[in-house]
Amino acid sequence: MAALGSAKAALQVTEVLETILSRCLGPEGRQVLCTKPTGEVLISRSGGCLLEALHLEHPIARMVVACVSSHLRRTGDGAKTFIILLCHLLRGLHTVIDKEQDSLISKNIQTHRRHWKNCCQWKFISQALLTFQTQILDYIMDHYLSKHFLTIFSSSTEERTLCRSSLELLLEAYFCGRVGRNNHYFISQLMCNYFFKCMACESGFEEVFDLVDDYFVELNVGVTGLPVSDSRIIAGLVLHRDFSVYCPADGDIRIVIVTETIQPLFSASASEFILNSEAQFQTSQFWIMEKTKAIVKHLQSQNVKLLLSSVKQPDLVTYYAGLNGISVVECLSPEEVSLIQRVMGLSPFILPQASSQYEICNTASVKFCKPLTLRSKRYVHLGLISTCSFVPHCIVLCGPVQGLVEQHEGALHGAFKMLRQLFKDLDLSYMIQTSDQNHTSSPLTYKDSRESNPLPEIVNGLIQRPYQGTVVKNKGNLAKTQTYLKVYSNLVVPSVELETCIPCSTPKVTPTDTYQTNETLRCLAPTKTRTIDDNEPFIESNSANSTAENTGIEISSENLQVTKIAGKGNMLPVREKSLEMCTSQSYCCSTLPAGCVLPVGGNFEILLHYYLLNYTRKCQQSEESVVSMIIANALLGIPQVLYKSKKGKYSFPQIYIRTLHALQTSQPIVSSQKGLESVAGKYQLLTSVLQCLTKILTIDLVINIRRQPREMYDQDSDEEV
Amino acid sequence: MSRLEAKKPSLCKSEPLTSEKVRATLCVLKGILTSSYGPSGRLKQVHNGLGGCVCTTSQSSALLSNLPVTHPILKILTTSTKNHVSCFSDCGLFTAILCCNLIENVQRTGLTPTTVIKLNQHLLRLCTNYLKSESCGCRIPVDFSSPQTLLCLVRSIVTSKPACMLTREETDHISALVLKAFLLTIPENTKDRLILGKSIIVPLKGHRVLDSTVFPGILIEVSEVQLMKILPIKKSNAFKVALFCASLSGDLSDTGEGTMVVSSGVSLENAVLEQLLNLGRQLVSDHVDLVMCQKVLHPSLKQFLSMHQVIAIDRVGVALMEPLSKVTGTQPIGSLGSISPSSYGSVKDLCPAKFGFKHFLHLIPNEATICSLLLCNRNDTAWDELKLTCQTALHVLQLTIKEPCVLLGGGCTETHLAAYIRHKISNRRTSAGKNHQLQVPAGKDVHCLSYKKWSIPAPQPMTSCHQPELLWFFSNGLLFKTILLDFLLLQKITLLCFVCWTCLWFC
Repeated sequence: MAALGSAKAALQVTEVLETILSRCLGPEGRQVLCTKPTGEVLISRSGGCLLEALHLEHPIARMVVACVSSHLRRTGDGAKTFIILLCHLLRGLHTVIDKEQDSLISKNIQTHRRHWKNCCQWKFISQALLTFQTQILDYIMDHYLSKHFLTIFSSSTEERTLCRSSLELLLEAYFCGRVGRNNHYFISQLMCNYFFKCMACESGFEEVFDLVDDYFVELNVGVTGLPVSDSRIIAGLVLHRDFSVYCPADGDIRIVIVTETIQPLFSASASEFILNSEAQFQTSQFWIMEKTKAIVKHLQSQNVKLLLSSVKQPDLVTYYAGLNGISVVECLSPEEVSLIQRVMGLSPFILPQASSQYEICNTASVKFCKPLTLRSKRYVHLGLISTCSFVPHCIVLCGPVQGLVEQHEGALHGAFKMLRQLFKDLDLSYMIQTSDQNHTSSPLTYKDSRESNPLPEIVNGLIQRPYQGTVVKNKGNLAKTQTYLKVYSNLVVPSVELETCIPCSTPKVTPTDTYQTNETLRCLAPTKTRTIDDNEPFIESNSANSTAENTGIEISSENLQVTKIAGKGNMLPVREKSLEMCTSQSYCCSTLPAGCVLPVGGNFEILLHYYLLNYTRKCQQSEESVVSMIIANALLGIPQVLYKSKKGKYSFPQIYIRTLHALQTSQPIVSSQKGLESVAGKYQLLTSVLQCLTKILTIDLVINIRRQPREMYDQDSDEEV
Repeated sequence: MSRLEAKKPSLCKSEPLTSEKVRATLCVLKGILTSSYGPSGRLKQVHNGLGGCVCTTSQSSALLSNLPVTHPILKILTTSTKNHVSCFSDCGLFTAILCCNLIENVQRTGLTPTTVIKLNQHLLRLCTNYLKSESCGCRIPVDFSSPQTLLCLVRSIVTSKPACMLTREETDHISALVLKAFLLTIPENTKDRLILGKSIIVPLKGHRVLDSTVFPGILIEVSEVQLMKILPIKKSNAFKVALFCASLSGDLSDTGEGTMVVSSGVSLENAVLEQLLNLGRQLVSDHVDLVMCQKVLHPSLKQFLSMHQVIAIDRVGVALMEPLSKVTGTQPIGSLGSISPSSYGSVKDLCPAKFGFKHFLHLIPNEATICSLLLCNRNDTAWDELKLTCQTALHVLQLTIKEPCVLLGGGCTETHLAAYIRHKISNRRTSAGKNHQLQVPAGKDVHCLSYKKWSIPAPQPMTSCHQPELLWFFSNGLLFKTILLDFLLLQKITLLCFVCWTCLWFC
């Protein structure tokens, strides 16, 4: 059986998912209770959890859920927003296509051809979406949105130091949408405390995030039957098992990790042990015993007080260990072993095979090693001494039922993932097309120089000569460029000032060949820098940086056409951004620095909506503007859901109008909410949604096969890339 | 085996708590629980339609684990109650009833979930702060120098379980025994940390409750035949003990991943047996008097040991290993080779004992924190109930060490707390005026909510809560249900967290 894979079906499917998830979104969101036929009950607000719990039949729904899961695995946030956004996008596409289809029907094309044409149309739209995602989105993020970004680092100092109050705001906003309303403040405080306790020094927080994210399961202990407020942070590492032998010890406690049984066995794998007499058997047993004894004695002589083993040790080993005052913990999971190795820099102890004379160098000290009892279950509590920037701490999470503990665990893990993403620089790259209708996408500085000075225009012409002589068209477009500049002028640096500054350093050499073009550029670059210097004196370090870059390029540029103009638009006091531009390849790279945040409550969505609308007004290509329009409108769906329950001054239309007004008059936007959210997370979410949408639109036919699947492919492996 | 069920598409319902059906089922559950509450509570007979024994109980742990609930909301309620009981042993019914009451009352007020959560949190803070403060009128510090308070506490727990079927005399007896067992687990000389011992409950069904006793040390059940072999036990002032955790049955230990080739004519059994006998010889030469093994002893070794007047007991089981090693001061031996002399332990005395139809070997320690509570009751169901009760009481006594404070029982703490909240709220309404943090539509709602919230059906309703009066009652031995403070606080926090959390489902 086959069904047409249409956007209509996808819309129906996502609408169902949306109705479930939209009620969990935001601080006013409620919990969803799922029951299984086995009688288990799941209570959750986390979108990922709910989507995975649902029993979905439709292949498109399953694909959407797989997309959400892979997105979550990477970023830990935004499952609900994903679905809502996707639904709005599909709805927008649907209305646009419906309009066009009406005209198609009137032409009376055959059904078969119409279907084919439809498919082509979807393909076309998905191409446009892809273009949007790879080019326009990055451009808009970099040029317009970036000036609104705040940072999580405290602004007073030069170096990056985490601001605790900002982090608290960020986490509170995150947990607001994840855990029950009565616990979110407590959990966010717990997480904040945990993070600051784990951080050895101010600079090494990236490593802390990586480690906690990778070993989250090992670093927390769930306890049921106690109130949530009993959750706490314990210094050291808690292993999820009990001692096999416990010998109290203090002072210098050294530990050793083994990955195999200490007791030698009769025969190794793939070998034979031939027994010829009973005496031989007895002597070999005696030898095994003596050998074991010797190894344990040796460990004792090295002051080893704790033996951590990833396998079950025979009774003999635990007995001798107990006799020699060595505590034993067996059956550690590979993750626990690798965590200890990573934190302490300790490698497993390899048993010497032949000689009895050996030296153990693989020991490490712990501060303490004692049993820990949490609600009548016993754990091993180790005071690891860290060699990296992570100071080991464990979270004990309590809750009345297992489900609540799991919910909090999931939320905490997601929060660490989110923070891990937040503290990575996000690379933005976009093409600057040299064909004339795309002048809107070329960066401002470039045109700025062209407009204010006749020389760079020639430069521009020289550069563009290989591209089939677009010089004339460029000139023709100049008037338009100027009008755009007026739009930009109040956003970045006042253009009037630029104009007054640049002519005073106009190079006297008229460029005749490409070599001189380079010289012109060289002359131009410092000018630019100075301009920025004059306008914004507080980013001196940045502009100094850019001059250094410029001088570097003079030497390296082989084709004489590369220039770097840095230091555009540092609107926030701490943000640093360098714009790299390669005119020869028409390729632009820039980075969204780590720690960019925006206030919660749909701020990102409204801002992006506004700038996209502005962009579409200037855009000439029809499908590009249509796609941008659809995305801009779909983005509004999220604040709409967020403010659904609010009335009066805080209702959505009011907030929307206020924000737009503030943007048009370039006033600062006043947000009603204190919380913060990660920009990188939002950006990644948008790209994931667009990718998912592209995937949906490219599907033509859904073929239902009744046979058992022969091989199980890992569905998510290709999405990870 | 997992249950097979036909695949069904997921079904979504909104606002599950407000439906009439849920309200009705909640009401039924509440009816079951409230009627079982307190010393005068009625018993419930739970029986499975497919067979099995009938459970007669009024205890929350037994009741809730046997009661199949279908609605997910009730499931959450019972699960959280069960988790609470497994943490604090007592007060399961109180928790569940309070939960039901809260949900019902909140539904009746018609407040929005946000308000209800804020309100609950506020009231919770009010209650816990008051209970923790010194000015709390219903708080009594535990005096460990006299048994009076502790005995009262145990008695109140025992009497609140009517399914044990105890007379007044038997109640006194059991309470005294439980307290004695608890005291025996406290070590005499403590260093920096207090590590409590363990009371092992030994079942003896079909006997009078008054036959129950408590012994220091461990009672190991042995068959009559085995006991006859052991007897007569020679008298000495200390018995040397060896405790094995490795199997002494003569099986080959792990031989590794490779293959083992045995030439014909070589008998490994003989080799192992000879090794075992060597071990036996060493034990005899070390003058060991008692050999115990967690697993199985080889019959030949057993025979050998008994020939040399060494008492051998095998199949002790893993549960008894830790108490045994504590009582005797041994280290469990895991080697068949040479045994270090430091692994041996000793007991002060060893004597056979017969209670009813069961024969025991009684290990009397020199000084240890392990005791055996021999518990008798007339029939199986009553014994099960009594065992649960004793475990609860022992656990509650252990918790008193953590937080040496008890609260007055008989519904009086609850009444007092309700009065306190009422007082606080009415004060607030008159003084604070408009500008108080709780955005409650009408103060009246808070009032009725708080009032109803804490008015739990009290088994013996108290009219006044003045401390001197209560102390008078107390000294006269009038029965009070005294509840641990620690316990009550945590329980209320658990409860309210739970309720706040379920309240998200309203409206």
